[in-house]
Amino acid sequence: MKELEILFNRIIQRVNVNLRELNFDVTPFAMTLIIPDQMSKFYAFYGITPDHPLDLHFEHSALAGSYFLGKCRVRNSILYKSDIRGDELKRKDRQINFGKFTLTLTKDERIDIEDSALVKTLVHNYSHDPETPEKFFIKDTLAMDYANIHGSPSDGCFLGPYATVDLTTMRDCIIGAYSYIQAGEISHLNVDPGTIWVNSPGNFNFYYKYPPELLAHYVSLSPEKVPWGVLIDFIEKRKFEFQRVFDFVNLEEIESIPKTASLDRYAVVLPNIKIADNVLVSQRAYIENSTLGKGANAQENCFIINSHLEGLNVTAHGAKIIEGYLGLGVFVGFNSFLCGKKQNRLKIGEGCIVMPHTIIDIEEALEIPANHLVWGLVRNREELATNSISLEKFSTIDTTFSSGRMHFEGSGASFVKAFKDRIQHILDVNGAFFADGENAGHAQKNQRLSLNTIQPFQFGPMEGMYPNISIVP
Amino acid sequence: MKNYLVKDLMVPISEYATVVLGTPLIEAIHVLERAQEAYTISKYQHRAIIVLNQDGHVVGKISQLRALKAIETEFDFTDQIEEIRKFKFSENYVAQLRDKYRSREKIIKEETLREVAAKKVEEFMQMPTPGEFVSEDCNLDTAIHRLIAGTHLSLLVTRGEQIIGILRISDVFAAVFHEMMTIAENKNS
Repeated sequence: MKELEILFNRIIQRVNVNLRELNFDVTPFAMTLIIPDQMSKFYAFYGITPDHPLDLHFEHSALAGSYFLGKCRVRNSILYKSDIRGDELKRKDRQINFGKFTLTLTKDERIDIEDSALVKTLVHNYSHDPETPEKFFIKDTLAMDYANIHGSPSDGCFLGPYATVDLTTMRDCIIGAYSYIQAGEISHLNVDPGTIWVNSPGNFNFYYKYPPELLAHYVSLSPEKVPWGVLIDFIEKRKFEFQRVFDFVNLEEIESIPKTASLDRYAVVLPNIKIADNVLVSQRAYIENSTLGKGANAQENCFIINSHLEGLNVTAHGAKIIEGYLGLGVFVGFNSFLCGKKQNRLKIGEGCIVMPHTIIDIEEALEIPANHLVWGLVRNREELATNSISLEKFSTIDTTFSSGRMHFEGSGASFVKAFKDRIQHILDVNGAFFADGENAGHAQKNQRLSLNTIQPFQFGPMEGMYPNISIVP
Repeated sequence: MKNYLVKDLMVPISEYATVVLGTPLIEAIHVLERAQEAYTISKYQHRAIIVLNQDGHVVGKISQLRALKAIETEFDFTDQIEEIRKFKFSENYVAQLRDKYRSREKIIKEETLREVAAKKVEEFMQMPTPGEFVSEDCNLDTAIHRLIAGTHLSLLVTRGEQIIGILRISDVFAAVFHEMMTIAENKNS
């Protein structure tokens, strides 16, 4: 048996040991997850920039097609086409406040991946765990296609395809396909597919769960089969375009990009696009025949096709917008799938918040009025009426509210404020408000980023594995 | 206080309402009614039915609550309620939700009652749990502890391996508070 297979089997067993109390065996899901032949086909690459400390350490790992930025250590792990973005990690001497405690960091924070397998997974942001402020750990964890581990240290967890865990420390948990969890800390929790849960203890609690039979049309998962469904097919159809940008060392630069905007070299851009000032298009984003207004952003694994984004739009990791018009400041959460049709377009009014993991899939034209909150599955006007509410009305809730499959308890005003504050913060760090040399963010800093590649063993028992490498300035 | 033992207050199995496995609910209720009519020793009526297997051993118990639970429709929202509880909603919210869901379905419907009447006792009986037994020679203190700790309405009284009777909470209650009143009266006189 080759070293790669030995390593993979070991990772599976470690995850299984952690999930034994939940009686969950990842083995059948893992069988189709890593194809050994593919692991030697793709190079890994990393960013070099004066804006982020460089300290990469790879040990006994396979890294095919993965990207690294900042401080990161990977040991005994398999990463396949994953993005490990350490550009928001905390720096030495930074003070963090948690309740009545104030901690000062004694060293720069590092992403530490150990005994884990991540497939097409995004790791971003920083550890929100006050117990490990200097280490964003991911250990004994298996994450499937298009999972997002965002500011969420993980120990002994399984994330299904399109699962997102956001600002939450998780231990020994199963996060079902297309679930979004933002809850601070979770432990020994088995989350069904399609669960959207945003919990801020003492402030608010939001919960929605997709009808399983309807979610299955979009994302399905069963043992010993690769995930399938509309969301998977959607990406598969566009795989070739990504192949092209990864195959060529030098791509032609697109000249119409303003100097204040950033279009990643590993993004797919197809005619005709208009990109305004302060726009950020991250790697593995896909933009086709669309306009991105001033300060808009398209994060990793986003698809924006035949659409117009007015400006100051956040299109969070993995979100997809097809045949849509989005007004100023519309926020589209992680992995949302907004799918209008050529003759029946989707219009989303100014200031709307589209919750993470929302699916809007329409056959008739649909307009969402300005300043609304939208969640869950929306396929027509009736479902929109059930799964949306004006932000003004939502802000008046101070006890409980439920609509359809959504349940809410707590302060609606706190919930809206938390979202609005976070959107503002995301725009800020992405450089949307850059002007006169001030307020630079990722859009401006990424222009000072260059890339290097590293290659795996191509032959022999170590085929697909990478040599142990330390990369420091 | 008089030194009661469990056997002083228990109802012997022979005087209790008993049915065997396989008995339909409606028949079990008839047996209970007949046992209530025949039982005149205490003013407290029997409220439960003991279920015996074919060898005459006690295998379960049906309280009034269990019988009512059998009538209540199996709602498909039970899983949803459990899910909501798992995701840290308050008990108040869960209670509100349960009421909301329940109000959608009527319990007393002719069709439901007809169906439930035919349900076999083993489908809804309560199996005895380890803390539900008490030896006939135990004192009342032990029995009271077990009733309270397990929130039981009765205990199964054992002699060796055999279950010989039922100790009802109503009889324990009567004995304790009768004694309390006697003490209070003696003090005042």
